[in-house]
Amino acid sequence: MTPTAGPPTAGLPKAGLSVRGVSKRFGSVQALAGVDLDFRAGEIHAILGENGAGKSTLMHVLNGVLRPDGGTLLLDGRPVSFTSSRAARNAGIGMVHQHFTLVEALTVAENLALSLPGPASWRFDARAVAARARALASRIGLDLSPPEARVCDLPVGARQRLEIIKALAGAGRVLILDEPTAVLTPQEVAQLFAMLRALRAEKRLVIFITHKLREVAAIADRVTIMRRGRVVDTRSVDTVSESQMAELMVGEVTGAPPRAPHAASAGEPALEALHLLARDVRGLPALVDVSFVVRAGEIFGVAGVDGNGQRELFEVLVGLLPPDGGTVAVGGHPLPAFTPAAAHAAGIGHIPPDRHREGLALSMSVAENFLLSRTMLDRCSHHGVLQWSVARRVAAELARQYAIDYAGLDAPVRSLSGGNQQRIIVARELAHQPRVLVTVNPTRGLDVHAARAVADALVAVARKGCAIILISTDLDEVLDLSDRISVIARGRLSAPLAPPLDAERLGLLMAGAGERQQTTDNRRQTPHDT
Amino acid sequence: MTDGTQHRQASQSVVCHLLSAVSLRLLPSLLALLGALIVSGVIIVVAGHSPWLALTAVIDGAFGSLDSLSEVAVKTCPLLLTGLAIAVAFQAGVWNIGAEGQLLIGALAMAALGTHGATLPAWLGLGFDLVAAAFCGAAWAGIAGQLKLRRNVNEVISTIMLNFIALAVISYLVQGPLMEAGGRYPQTDPILAGLWLPRLLPPHRLHAGVVIALVMAAGVQVLLYRTVAGYEMRAAGANPQAARLAGFDVGGRLLLALMLSGGLAGLAGGIEVSAVTRRLYEHFSPGWGFTAIAVGLLGRLSPAGVVLAAFFFGALDAGSNAMQRVAGVSSVLVSIIQATVILFLVTLERIQWLRPAPPSGE
Repeated sequence: MTPTAGPPTAGLPKAGLSVRGVSKRFGSVQALAGVDLDFRAGEIHAILGENGAGKSTLMHVLNGVLRPDGGTLLLDGRPVSFTSSRAARNAGIGMVHQHFTLVEALTVAENLALSLPGPASWRFDARAVAARARALASRIGLDLSPPEARVCDLPVGARQRLEIIKALAGAGRVLILDEPTAVLTPQEVAQLFAMLRALRAEKRLVIFITHKLREVAAIADRVTIMRRGRVVDTRSVDTVSESQMAELMVGEVTGAPPRAPHAASAGEPALEALHLLARDVRGLPALVDVSFVVRAGEIFGVAGVDGNGQRELFEVLVGLLPPDGGTVAVGGHPLPAFTPAAAHAAGIGHIPPDRHREGLALSMSVAENFLLSRTMLDRCSHHGVLQWSVARRVAAELARQYAIDYAGLDAPVRSLSGGNQQRIIVARELAHQPRVLVTVNPTRGLDVHAARAVADALVAVARKGCAIILISTDLDEVLDLSDRISVIARGRLSAPLAPPLDAERLGLLMAGAGERQQTTDNRRQTPHDT
Repeated sequence: MTDGTQHRQASQSVVCHLLSAVSLRLLPSLLALLGALIVSGVIIVVAGHSPWLALTAVIDGAFGSLDSLSEVAVKTCPLLLTGLAIAVAFQAGVWNIGAEGQLLIGALAMAALGTHGATLPAWLGLGFDLVAAAFCGAAWAGIAGQLKLRRNVNEVISTIMLNFIALAVISYLVQGPLMEAGGRYPQTDPILAGLWLPRLLPPHRLHAGVVIALVMAAGVQVLLYRTVAGYEMRAAGANPQAARLAGFDVGGRLLLALMLSGGLAGLAGGIEVSAVTRRLYEHFSPGWGFTAIAVGLLGRLSPAGVVLAAFFFGALDAGSNAMQRVAGVSSVLVSIIQATVILFLVTLERIQWLRPAPPSGE
């Protein structure tokens, strides 16, 4: 492509980026095996692949975070090698990471000040920085959180928006986005895409890592599919269908087997929540009069953009957060107390949102992690003495049943892949058929196979009569698995809807539209009526 | 193939697996020891002495005779018990830096009961007093535990501060209410002869407290790895949030671990008074409760490892006098070795290849 002389591109040199024979190995894992790729200035180039395909590793090489074992990078035809992400940014390559790179203790404005261009001054003028942050955000077209808010108080979605703003503040010629849409509302995704198109019009290169086929079709000009550290193919997006992309990505046909519809009449109400009120860590209302009922054998989906009360709903249901008001009843009996022990005793199992932070003890062994639940521990002990023979037999049996790939029962659980770690949690929580299962983003960060295994396990346990509350920010996941769906927005839960659902209407509900209509819906459809 | 050969092969592979696991666990400790020895060797050379002579003097001083071996065991005993105290607390994620104070309170209980206590049959009195020493150490640690649970006070700070309070209390008591009848030195009267822990090989000082300490090591091993309470403590230490979500009483387990830790340290103090010093005086402890942190870390917080580490430091301690005498190297070098061991260990903790492989693909 030749640089055009239009006003927006004046002074912006062509940013062609080429990768030649780049390889990278981590221990026994060949993360990249001789990757060759050409990115053109003025295109949106999607990198598609399962978890572990090497997408992130490749981008970290481009961004200077990782140094390749072999191969070269060519920027505008000149070989470059970056020793740090700062060097890469100076050369014009900015990146939005999948994991946040914000200073949590600082405010929004202070975080942006760290990457805002301009002369550094010894004096920190908070008001001026806030004004510049607002100007930047409005140029980009994303909502900026209050500049004086601390990042640690922001919900995940707001943090990611801030990340995108931050990366765009410094990005010169190449912008790399690592799954940036995971926690945005459909409206915000549309805004992001509009912005990416504007960047493309200015002859910048946008590299977009994703595993969502729909996003590739919606935004990208070309798509590169990676599998096991190699480039499978690079295609122009108009010449490849979604199912072809999926096939290339997974290496086999992914046509999801249609799930047999659940028994039309679900069982007795297993869990009833009435008028729940709760506050978040900042003391702000997080759950506002939330009422719902889940019946035995059904999967009740709670969709919504992250940070709208999902965390608090999970914490109330599993007993971590005593609500300010309202009741939760299991099988018709109100919970005697909001403690994890009471929730366990009532038969509420859980798959927590963050497996490393609250699902596993990473330094303990595989066998020990299978015991990390009151129910399992009680079943594998006798008068306070651990029965290791029983525990190990149960662990080995569950590992076999859930096809968990592990080095040994005594291996640290840290050494397992994310998918296998998540399967340990699922196996542990489902081992004794909980009455109710509360699960948050159960397949986040898993590759297609592991995600399928977890989803299948959820469906199977629901078939056996478990009531599942599926709180997820992955709309596809909720749509795919749920019998009924409510949308949570700003702490309010919409009336349950049954599929098939209109994605646009869901998006509107997720963005908090129809709040007014929702409250009347709720009144009309209290749990006792359903 | 017969069942027998299969079984033998299986057990061989189990042994290999165990050996490699053990060596990987021991590797950081051995490297830290090696590093500390090299550093001390350099210091000895800089000070103008022969490191080789110093080393042989230490070894001879520690293992040269039955009496020196007995002295090693005597020096090992308080380090073993306080090292176990550190292991229990740290495994549960409670950073008890107050083993010194808890040991002093245990010693105080033993001395106070031993000089002023009710008259019981000797064996019963001894048992009662040792249990009381452990209880008082546990109660002293419990203060920090309650502060943590009720007011979220960082236990590192509260246990360190309680050390100073314990020191001051003892200083006051041995110069006041508990001062010896003669009133010459800041020390208590000797405890009743019936409360002396028996010596195992008189006239050597090897005493029954060493056996108690080894039994405690076995007990801690069983507690941590064979009981529900021990599992819950370790889970609370490894990931308190996950343990809470699992339905465990994390606060209660932290308090229990801290009080068990204090109890072991208190028992160490009680045994030391009963078996070795037979009275309490100012500056009673040469810092056992602090050396215990080195012992616990060097032993990788496992009871078996703590036994080895305590024995190592005990031998070093016992041999250092000979080193000073023969090689002219100050016995303060022992403190340098202890400190460098800790520094090497916490540094090695940060080195990737000494840790289990990270998860691939994430």
